[in-house]
This record gives sequence, structure tokens and C-alpha cells, in this order.
Amino acid sequence: MRTSSKSQPLSLVLLGGSTGSMVIFEEVLKLLTSPPDCALIFILHRGKSSTALLPDLFRRKTGVVMIEPDHLEEIRSAHVYFALPDCHLLIGPDRRFYYDLSDKDFFSRPSIDAAFVSAAVSGIPVKAAFLFSGSSPDGAFGMRVLAEKGFATYVLDPAEAESSRMPEEAIKLYHGHRLISRANFTRTINDIIYSNGV
Amino acid sequence: MNLLEYPDLEVLIMQIRNASGFDFSGYARPSLLRRASRYLTKNKLTLPQLISHLEPESDIVFDLMQEMTVNYSEMFRDPDFFIGVKSEVFTYLESYPGLRFWVAGCASGEEAFSLAILLKECGYLDRSLIYATDLNNKVLTAAREGVFTLSNVRTFSENYLLAHGQNSLSDYYHVSYNKAVISREIRKNIVFSLHDLTGDGVFNEFQFISCRNVMIYFTLELRQRVFRLLYESLSMLGFLCLGKRETLRYSGIEQNFRVVDTVLNIYQKIK
Repeated sequence: MRTSSKSQPLSLVLLGGSTGSMVIFEEVLKLLTSPPDCALIFILHRGKSSTALLPDLFRRKTGVVMIEPDHLEEIRSAHVYFALPDCHLLIGPDRRFYYDLSDKDFFSRPSIDAAFVSAAVSGIPVKAAFLFSGSSPDGAFGMRVLAEKGFATYVLDPAEAESSRMPEEAIKLYHGHRLISRANFTRTINDIIYSNGV
Repeated sequence: MNLLEYPDLEVLIMQIRNASGFDFSGYARPSLLRRASRYLTKNKLTLPQLISHLEPESDIVFDLMQEMTVNYSEMFRDPDFFIGVKSEVFTYLESYPGLRFWVAGCASGEEAFSLAILLKECGYLDRSLIYATDLNNKVLTAAREGVFTLSNVRTFSENYLLAHGQNSLSDYYHVSYNKAVISREIRKNIVFSLHDLTGDGVFNEFQFISCRNVMIYFTLELRQRVFRLLYESLSMLGFLCLGKRETLRYSGIEQNFRVVDTVLNIYQKIK
């Protein structure tokens, strides 16, 4: 495992979703044939007893480190992180993860807004943020904040989302997100996570 | 929603200190930032408006502190933790004539009541004293009353069954005016009192400390100090329980403990 420090470059790719997003997350994870040039952070709404589901499914399939981070764990490039169920995952300005046990946002913990807003104000460059399918408005505010900070934001075309409310709310709150379709999103993401720089 | 940035938060921390004497400077910034932003949004306030309302002893200072420091909690939260405590900890405690427990950061008392019920069912409650402390007087007042909404109690009951409770949770509360009131029998061995982990010192020696989901409030530096306090408050071979998302990593006292359960984060002081 390579060591990380403030002097080493770090950028983030954020991916959020709820109902209907699991299958999309799986497609993204399948792209990871070699370590990405960023830290990938997945925020998926899931039940509070569903521990360690995602990493176990994928961890053995690739050489990329996939973990549910500890509180205060340093965020490292080339790693893939999953928010644990039942607590908010925040990204700190000191490049560490922080858990937070405050109330739910839109009945969800982890909340996509909580993670995305914390990333937007962390000072760590965000290569791109993606919002996929879901039946709650969570994520819309976080996506707007990221976009207003000048980071690239991508929303799944609501017409193609299994649950369209999440992408619809994001677009309603901010018109400048780029739309991606089921047909081309893997290519878009692949280009982003393996590109150099921000 | 309001969006605060880190420099705004530092201003707010300073103003709260001036107004109330309470110092958030050792608290983890990402969580404070989220909570302060939520507070502004919920109360439809801007930061300058909030700051102009901060006066000593004002309700707004209490409300804000509550928002910044209270975690949601449940009775028998993480039911497997209670199963683990019963099987891996209580057997060690059998030989003690008197037992002292400390629930540090007890909020409205959920953890303390759960522990008391568990002790009761294992036959230890009569020789146990549970100290339950928090820095917030308002939540302590609620804890002393031991009153919960019926919808909360439904969740607590589900947790209790998952924790292999021997009876029905309703054996430990009665319903009055549509609220559940924890029975006197469960409350009588619990002492609720004010204690700030970040400023106050050791006040007793315990065989068992539960400090679940509290350390996540603190900065890396402050949590090391608080861990030291917990270490010094434990008797030799006493147990320290942390939240499921927490570990002794970065605590500075890792070498003084043996891991009893890595998943449940139960540790035993060995030196």
C-alpha cells in the first residue's frame, strides 16, 4: 500500500445514489482494472444492518483497495471507499474521513448531501461528482454546491434512471449539470478516473 | 440550505466561547460544520444573525450546543454489542462485590437504561452503580425523567429482542399520557450527572466504561486527551467499549489494552 501525505496529489471522484443505483455502481467497479488516479468515494443509501456488503462483493475481483474507512482514516489516491450504513461520511480538510451521527437528511444516513458538501468545502480537488438513480432528493444540494465551486458534475438522465426523482431534483436545483446516459456513462467515468490531473 | 465554510466556523466557535464559555475548539471541524449549517437552515438564520443572538445563558446558545453535540441514540443500539457484553464481559465481573459502570456521553440515557436492563437480567443490577454523564444539562434533565415517545420505544423494543432480551421491553416501562416512562427499578441505580470529557477530570474508578460514538466529536489531538482520561478512570482489567465505527487507532493508548472484540470494539485494560 502506498503511503499518503499532504505533499502527494489527491483528487476525489464522488458517486452517489439510492434505489436503482447498485447495478450502476457495480458497472463502475468493473471498470477498475488498475488503480485509479484519484480516490473514489461511493455513497449509497442502504439499510443499517447491511454491513460491508459492497467491498466484499468486489474486493477480490481487482487489485484495487476497496474499503469502508475508519473514522479519521487518511484518504488515499488509488483507493476506493464506501460509506458505511447508518452514519454520515464526511471528508475533512485534513484529508481524513470523519463519521458523523447527526440526524438523517431526507430519511437517509449516510446522506449524499453531507458527503458531497463536505468534499466541496474541504479544499481537496474534486475531479467529478456523479449522481445516479434514487427516489429521494438527497444529493441535489451537494451537487449544486460542487458545481458552483467549479467542479464537474454529472447526473444520470432521469429518463434512464430506475428511480428518476434523485436526478430530477438535482437538475431542478441547478441547470448546469452534465447529463449522462446509461449507454455512455462507463466511458465517461473511465476517462475521468484514469486521467491525470484534475 | 445554508453553506458555511471553515473560516466562518472558526468565527462561530470564537463567538460561542465568548457568549457561553463553552469551547468547541477541540471538536472535529467537518462534523461541526455540518451541524452548524443545519442549525442555520432549520432556524432560517444567516451566520451574522445567529452571532448577534448569541448571549450568555440564552436559549439559542443551549439549542446550538444541543445541535452541535447530540448524536441520535437508541436503547440497545447495535444489538450485537449487548450480546457481546453479556458473553465476553460480564463473566469477568462476577467476582466483584460492587460494580461501577460509566456511560460517558449519555445523552438522554438510552445506553444507561439498556445497560441497567442487561445487568438486571443477568442478576448484577443490585450490586451495580451506573454513572451516566453528559456535558449538556438539558439532555440530562430529560435522561433523569426517562421518558420516550412510543415510536422511539418501538425501535428500542426491536433492538431489545435482537439483543436477546429475556423478557419484553414493556416490562421495564409504563405508558403514561402516550409516552413511555422507564420504570423506577431500572432508574434507581443510575446516577446522571454533569461531566465534560474535554475539561473535567477523573472522578471515580470503573470496571466498565461505555463511551460509544462520542470520540467522533473530537479532533485527533483532543481525543488522545480524552482517551487518557478514560484509561485513568478504568480499573486494571476493566473494559472500555467504543462505538462500532470507532477503534483505538490514533488513541495513543493502544498498547495498554487487549482487544476483546474487534467488531464490537470492546477492549480490556491490561497495563
